[in-house]
Parts: sequence; structure tokens; C-alpha cells
Amino acid sequence: MRTLLIGLLLATPAVAQDQASRAVGLAAWEDIFAVASHPRCTNCHVGDDGVPMWNELGYGADAAHGMYVHAGESRVGAETMPCRTCHISKISDNATPHAPPMIDDAWRLPPPELAWLGKSSEEVCAQLRNPDTNDGFAMDGLATHLETSAFVAWGFAPGAGRSAPPGTLDDMIAALDIWAAAGTPCADDP
Amino acid sequence: MGRVKTIARRSFLIGSAAIAGGVAFGTYLYKREGTNPLLADLEPGQAAITPYVIIDANGVTLITPRADVGQGAWSMQAYLIAEELDIDPATATLSPGPASAIYYNGVVGAEAMPIAATSDSLLARTGRGAADVMGKLMGLHITGGSTTVPDMYDRLRMAGAVARETLIKAAMNQTGLPRDQLSTENGCIVLPDGLKLEYIDLAAAAAEIEPVQDVTLRDPAEWRYLGKPFKRTDMVAKSTGTQKYGIDMQMEGMVIATTRTNPAIGGGLIGFDAETARTMRGVQAVLPITGGIAVVADNTWRAFQAAQAVECDWGPSPYIGNSADQFAAVAASFEDDMQDSRFKDEGDVAAALEGAEIIRAEYRIPYLAHAPLEPMSVVVRLTDARLDIWTGTQIPRFVQANMAKLTGLDADNIHVHVLMSGGSFGRRLEDDYIHQAVEIAMQLPDTPIKMVWQREEDFTHDFPRPLAMARAKGSTRDGKVDAFDLSIAAPSVAESSLARLGQPAIGPDVAIVAGAWDQPFNIPNYRVTGYRTPAMVPISSWRSVGASGNGFLHESFVDELCHAAGADPLAERLRLCWHDPSRKVLEAVGEMSDWGSDPGPNRGRGLAFTLAFGVPVAEVVEVTSTDAGIRIDKVFVAADVGRVLDPVNFEAQLQGAVIFGLGHAMNCEITYQNGAAQQENFHVYEGMRLYQTPEIIVRGLENGDRIKGIGEPGVPPAAPALANAIFAATGQRIRELPLSKQIDFV
Amino acid sequence: MKLTVNGTSHVVDVEEDMPLLWVLRDELGITGPKYGCGIAQCGACTVHVDGIAVRSCQLAAGDVSGDITTIEGLGTPAVLHAVQEAWIDLQVAQCGYCQAGQIMQAASFLDLNPTPTDDQIDAAMSGNLCRCGSYPRIRAAVKSAATKLKGV
Repeated sequence: MRTLLIGLLLATPAVAQDQASRAVGLAAWEDIFAVASHPRCTNCHVGDDGVPMWNELGYGADAAHGMYVHAGESRVGAETMPCRTCHISKISDNATPHAPPMIDDAWRLPPPELAWLGKSSEEVCAQLRNPDTNDGFAMDGLATHLETSAFVAWGFAPGAGRSAPPGTLDDMIAALDIWAAAGTPCADDP
Repeated sequence: MGRVKTIARRSFLIGSAAIAGGVAFGTYLYKREGTNPLLADLEPGQAAITPYVIIDANGVTLITPRADVGQGAWSMQAYLIAEELDIDPATATLSPGPASAIYYNGVVGAEAMPIAATSDSLLARTGRGAADVMGKLMGLHITGGSTTVPDMYDRLRMAGAVARETLIKAAMNQTGLPRDQLSTENGCIVLPDGLKLEYIDLAAAAAEIEPVQDVTLRDPAEWRYLGKPFKRTDMVAKSTGTQKYGIDMQMEGMVIATTRTNPAIGGGLIGFDAETARTMRGVQAVLPITGGIAVVADNTWRAFQAAQAVECDWGPSPYIGNSADQFAAVAASFEDDMQDSRFKDEGDVAAALEGAEIIRAEYRIPYLAHAPLEPMSVVVRLTDARLDIWTGTQIPRFVQANMAKLTGLDADNIHVHVLMSGGSFGRRLEDDYIHQAVEIAMQLPDTPIKMVWQREEDFTHDFPRPLAMARAKGSTRDGKVDAFDLSIAAPSVAESSLARLGQPAIGPDVAIVAGAWDQPFNIPNYRVTGYRTPAMVPISSWRSVGASGNGFLHESFVDELCHAAGADPLAERLRLCWHDPSRKVLEAVGEMSDWGSDPGPNRGRGLAFTLAFGVPVAEVVEVTSTDAGIRIDKVFVAADVGRVLDPVNFEAQLQGAVIFGLGHAMNCEITYQNGAAQQENFHVYEGMRLYQTPEIIVRGLENGDRIKGIGEPGVPPAAPALANAIFAATGQRIRELPLSKQIDFV
Repeated sequence: MKLTVNGTSHVVDVEEDMPLLWVLRDELGITGPKYGCGIAQCGACTVHVDGIAVRSCQLAAGDVSGDITTIEGLGTPAVLHAVQEAWIDLQVAQCGYCQAGQIMQAASFLDLNPTPTDDQIDAAMSGNLCRCGSYPRIRAAVKSAATKLKGV
């Protein structure tokens, strides 16, 4: 599917291809953003204050992580209460509602420059195509990262009745490839 | 007094004493009508000089029969005895003693009577006397109602003094010296030449003589411990993980059980399929019990897992099953034929409201769970003729009686070993969990069984504090509160909980109006009426019982009327208050909080006052309204227990009570759907966490005429003081708890 | 399965997914860590794994990699840890059931952050519930312990 789509893009005439490519890329971006803006992602992709969120977990709208959790500059809570104090096990089917979710990786917040919470599609788009604000990834690296990240995998299958972002991880990676192949367009590009 | 004795001395004592039965020290003469329960179980070489003091070669054991559910009651009882006995309580062994009628509570019964704590009338004194007689006749060995100190203050000091004087008498016999040449110091009798005789060496002789009965209690000016900061006797154990709670008991051959009963309260079990559960690792049995199933396993977690794997067919709850319908039933109770009490009816409310501009308000408060942090747990062992029960309980004799009924054993053959409780807040006034464990033991005799509930079971099978509604009418006149008419409707705790203890609930239930009808204010036209909602889901006492919610109902409306009158809430309460100790706590909290000064932008102060359990408590809460919600900045508390025995614990109890009151007011409620409580764990019943905790400044006053307890009285004013502060800061009057339904907290 | 608890190694035969809490309490008889909620809401079960505070009800036995310290291993009545000393000096405990967890949380926190701000203390200690409301004394004890530890 991935190859086929890219093949189709390459097979069209140059000018039309530019426009078509941009339109297809933007459409793919919207799919990506639907995932990136989902609380399963934005609950951790938060800004400098390092306060993770508990949105769409039954605690109401705009709910901060309970227990006054502050991940701090370390982004792992080293200054106060480490994330791993609770998010500690690899062996978990994440089946208990309201228990801390577990993955096979050290639970942590992404760096503040990767904050997506409350940001517009255009802002997140600009962040994600820029290695300075996407954790240093080129586009192919980003796809590999999505494929291998325990966080991302958990996000699509969070367990215990937690809502998941739309689509599947494969859909997301396919959309990323399309968006990348189209030159990572953002809606507010000149 | 050193507990490590030389071998020589020990040999001498035991060899020469031969005191089968030993010494037990008693107190008042009339109590000796009852048998000292300690005498039956004494080891050779032990002396039980009263029902409260045992002395043997290893040292002194103090009997502290009131349960400790976190308030430091064991420690307090030990200090009361130790003060007169002249020992360092840290060197004594503490034991809660056996379940016994001699440890009756002579004060708690008065809480169920419509006697205002502020009244010293003949009727009030007669009523209190009757409570004492009733407690004694019934052998009411019970802990609750903040009664440990008022009930035990004289009794335990007397026990200590009797033991001391009897030891001195023994020393007089031994030395030939007169009384006035002997003194006591730290577990020793001191002779004129400075020589010291240790109590433990005199125990045998003391056991042989009639305990001295005519003793004089020390003047408080001479106290060594009381009135000064204590070091609680349980503090080291509780800071080192060495304190044993019921859940920590371990015994040879012990199995572990957990139970699951119908989440729809009272719905019963129709059938169950334990096929999967029985094959799970470590599972030894899946047994039916009343209303559900029990899993017996070799490990608590395995028992939990297997209990979840049992498929149960539950019946429907017989009770009104949904919160909206429950509140509708309460709302429908404001009818003449459901009136339960009208203990307060002064002036002429109807006439005063006639033609006046009537201020009306309706309030509601939710069911609340006790949720002590130690989930219900108990160890039982049943053999042919004997049942042993190890658990935290406030009602050891009722446990005996109820389990006698269940097992057919004589109550004498049921031994209740009371342990430290990891919290209670009233939950351990119930014995449902013990009943379950004994049901398991009856199917699995001769095996020690530790039963532990899962937290979810604990939340969904609590006997909650009842919901209530109030309808209030009032009016003002010339800038003053003139008429106050409060009607409160709620189901009756007494009716529900006394039935489970096998006791009748006669007459009106004071708890429906406690903390409202008995407040010391001279409002010219002042009426408080209780209405009884027919029983719904079973309910029970919760820290500060009726006053826990009634404080909010009464004090919110007092605040509303003060504002309507254009009067300052503190000045108006002071004008109306006729009870001197109450006035003084109001004045104190006014001074502490700099009441009347400008609190600053977006800030507000709220005041509330409740007299409950005989203790006037005034609280001022200061809040800031921020973009993210209400932040509670400071709380000022003034309370009068007559005499503060331990200023540190006094402060800790009031701070804890304020946090308990505020936390539940902020965000806690138990709601029902199809008869089942919907809150199953702390994520939806959080209360207060540390970051939300305000600075809490406490002052103790000592103007009251009788000594009182401090475990509960700080709770009732916290919620209304907070709601009144929110009104002051934002203009938003919230008449329903929890407040989080209408406002956010930072 | 092999575990090192308070410096002693133990071999236990338990399911990989049994929470460490129940291995400690029921298999090894170490009862300082308490069961309160089972879902990391209360913190009563807190122990250290390689010095870091961890909710033992959330750590599967099969995932334990590191030395475990429980309240019993932090200090004893005879030889108290500075945090325990502060807890006793300030008379923190009421029912005491949560306090082993509170103390383990505080000890690990002060180890990671010896000079905390008041706000950091609040953040570090807000995962531990106390139903009795000993929070004001917990705050004071953490501050006192921080001072004590600095003096060492």
C-alpha cells in the first residue's frame, strides 16, 4: 500500500503533480493530526510546565494528571516523584481501569519542544517536519520511530477501556509516508 | 522502669511469690462488683492490681480498653494511668484487654439523648447519669463518639492511683515505714534514705492485699505528662513498619480468604460458577457465604484473582437503587407524619416569618464512605469449643454476642483480640466482615483464616454516612437574624446500625439533627425539625456522625441569613451566642484570622461554628479564586475541650479533622446505580491530597466545664466554612456537596 | 525467581505477574509495605527498587530488576533513618497505615533531590494518600529530614 501510493504520486505530470501532491499530503496530514491531537498523545506531549494530562480518562475536560504530578525539567519526575514510581512494569496487559498504564520502556514526557497539547494543526505540522522540534528525526527516521516506539504502540492499544486515536499504527505510518513524499506540506504554507 | 531484669531477681520473684492469680488493680469500689476480667488469664507471677494494670517480673502492662483507630487512644489511655502510677508509659507494655462488661462506656449513651452539651440542668445531669448506668448495665464495651477521654479521664487516673497506693501499702508492710515517708518515682517506691524498691519486686506482695480504694488524684499542677506534649507510644512502630495491624497477622498454617458479595446491596446470590477459579494456582476452596462467595487460597493476590474469576449470578437489590430516587425519597420526607423530632423550638417562627421577607434555601449532602486505608480484614480461628478473632474493632462485646449467635458457641468461648486499626472513621463499629470470616471458618474449622477485602469490595460494601436534605426558611429584622427554621430529612443511622447490634432504636434519632438543634445561639425565633426518611441502603456512623453533615446545613444557612441581614457573620454569631466557651472560640478564631481585615483581591474568608460532642469549634477558611479554580490557603481553628491533655495530638486531630471535612466536601460522594455504589476506589473518592492542604493553625481553649474528646468535633465546621469562603470570594453560594459538582479546585 | 530484599536474597516460586507487594507480604512475610488500593492511587505499598520509590502493587515480580528496600530495611527502631527520626520528632502518624509508604516516598525523594523547594515537596508527596489527614506534619517532617540529611 505504502509503495503503491508513492508510486501513484510519482507517476503524475510535474505541475499537476505538485498540486495533487500537496493536496494528498495535506489530506494525509489531517489523518496524522487526528492521531497527534488525540488525548492519548497530547496527555504527554505537553509543554514546559511538565504537567501531564488525564484527558479522556473519565476525569472531565482539561484534567491534569492527578496527584500534582510534575515531570520537571528532567521530564521523568526526577525532581519530585519519578514517572516510574507508578509506571514501572513491563509485564502488564493494561487491563485495570485507572491503574497506571505500563509499557516496555521508561515512562517519560517528550521534550517540551514536542508539545502538541492545545496547538493547532498548522503548529503541530510545522513542529513535526522540523528536526529541531520532532526529536531530531528525518522523515524516514520518524516512520521507523513510530514503528518501534513502545509509547506509540501503547497509544493505539491503551487497554482498560481507554479511548484510542483513530485508525491503526499502520494507517498512521502510511499517512506519514504520503505526507513526507508530498514534501511535508502544512496548510498555512505560503 | 527497666524491663530487662537480672536472672537472679526474676528467680527470686517467681520463686518467692507464688502468686497464682497475681495482682490486678481496681478503681472505684462499686466497680469491684464486677469481676476483674484479667484475673482469669493471669500467668504465674503476674499481678493484675486493677482491670487496668498488670505487673509481673517483666514489667508493667497497661490495659487500654478503648480501641485505637488512629486518634492515639491507646497512648492516651496509657498516659492517663501512667500519670498516677508514676511510670514512664514508653516502658510499659500496652494491651487492649479482653472484651468485658467492666470496660463499659459510660458516656457514649448520652450522645443518643436529646441533651444539649451546654445544658447543666437537672434533667441533663439525670440523662447523663442514666447513660452511665445504661452503659454499665449493658456492658457497653464500645469506642466512639469522641468519648475515650471524657469516659476514661477519671477512671484510668483512679486505676493508676489505686495501683500506686496499693504498691505503697505493700512497701509499707515490707519496710514498716509509714505512708508519708514513701514516695514514688518512675516505677519505684522511694524510701527516705533514697533506696528504691521496684514495682515489679512488690507485685507479689501487692497481690496479697486488698487494693487501696481511698485515693486522691493529683493536682494538674503536679502532672508530669498530662497537659504537655506527649511522645505517642505507637509513634516509633508506626514510623518503622513494625506496627502490626489485622491485615499483617501471620500464623502457622494460616490460609487467606477474600469475599465477593453482591454489589447491589442486599441483593443476595442466586448461584455461582467457580469452575475456573477452583483450578487457579493456590486456590484451596470457593465457598458460599451470605450474599456471595469466599475464595480461600495461599496468597492474598491469588485469592483476589480467583474471586474475580468466579461467575456470580446476583439478585436485585431490595433498596431504592438510584441516587436520584434516593434523593426523591428524602425530599418526600418533609411531611408531618414523618417528623422525627423538634428538639429546638424557641420563639414563634411562624409568626416571625409572617409578613417578613422570607429567605429560603435548600441544601443536599451525599452518602459518604468511611474508606479507612486498611481495608476490612480479620483473622479468625474456630475450633470445637472456641472462636478466636483478631481484628481492629470498636465493639468487641457486640462481636462476641453476634458471633455467639452465628456459631452457637457461648460468648465466653469467643475471644476477641483487638488490634490497631489502619483507620476507621466509624467503619469498625460494624462487624459484617467478621461475620463473613466466621462463616468461612465454620466451613473450614481448625484453620487460622485471614480474610482481606479488596479495596473495591470495601468501597462498595460500606455502610455509608447517610445522604440528607435541608429546607430552610428565615428572616432578618433591623440588620439582625430574626427567624431561623431548619428542617432536615435523612434516614436514621440509629435505626440501621443498632439493629445490626441487636439493639432497639427507641424514640427519635438525635443524629438526624445533631450539630443543628443544639447550637448555642439565641435567635429569637429558632426551630430545628428532623424528618425521618424510611430506611434505604444500610448506613452507619461516620466521623462526627449526624453533625458531619448538619454542620454544613446549619452553618451555611446562618451565613446566608447574616449576609441577608447585612450583618458580619462573626459579629452576628457573637451577638447571638449565649454560651461563654463558644463565644470564646469564636472570638479566638476571629483574632487568629484577622477577621474583618481586607483579604485581598479574589480572596474570601468563611466562618463556621459547630458545637458537637460537647466541644465548641470555630473555623475560618481562607480561599483564593484563581483561573484554575478555588485554592484553599489557610484554615484557622479554635476549639475548647475543657482541658488539653496533649497539645501535639490535639493539634494533629484538629488538622486531620479539618482535612477530612474539607476533602470530602471538595470531591467525595457515594452514588448508587441499581443498588450498587458507583465509587470503587480512590481515583473517584480522592479527598484531599498533600498539595491541596492549606496551612492549618490551631488554638486550644480551656474554658469548658467538662473534659471532652477531640477526634470528631473538628469535622463539622470545615465544609460550611469552605462554602462560606467560596461565597465571600466569588459570590457563588453552593448548597450541595460535594462542591466540585459546581466549582473547580486547584 | 530470585529477589534481594533488605540485603537478603530470597528464592520465590511465584507467577511472573504477581505484584511485588504480595510477594513481600505473603511469600516473605515482610508486612511493612501495605495494601491500600491496588491501583497506585494511595502509595501505601511504596518500596525502593535500587533506591527509587516504587509502588509495589504495580511492579510485577517478573519485572523486578534491582535491589529492593522496604521500610524494614530503611531503618529500625534501634537505628532510625533520618526521615524516620523526623517522622517521630514531629509525631506525624495517626492510624499510621499509610506512613511506611509516605516515609519510603520521602526518603527516595530526598535522596534524589536533597534541597527541595516547598512546591517540590508537595509534588513528591501528593501521590500518597493519608485518610487521617497527617499532611501538615508530613510536610514539616520532610523539611526537617532534608535539613538533617544535609547536616550529615
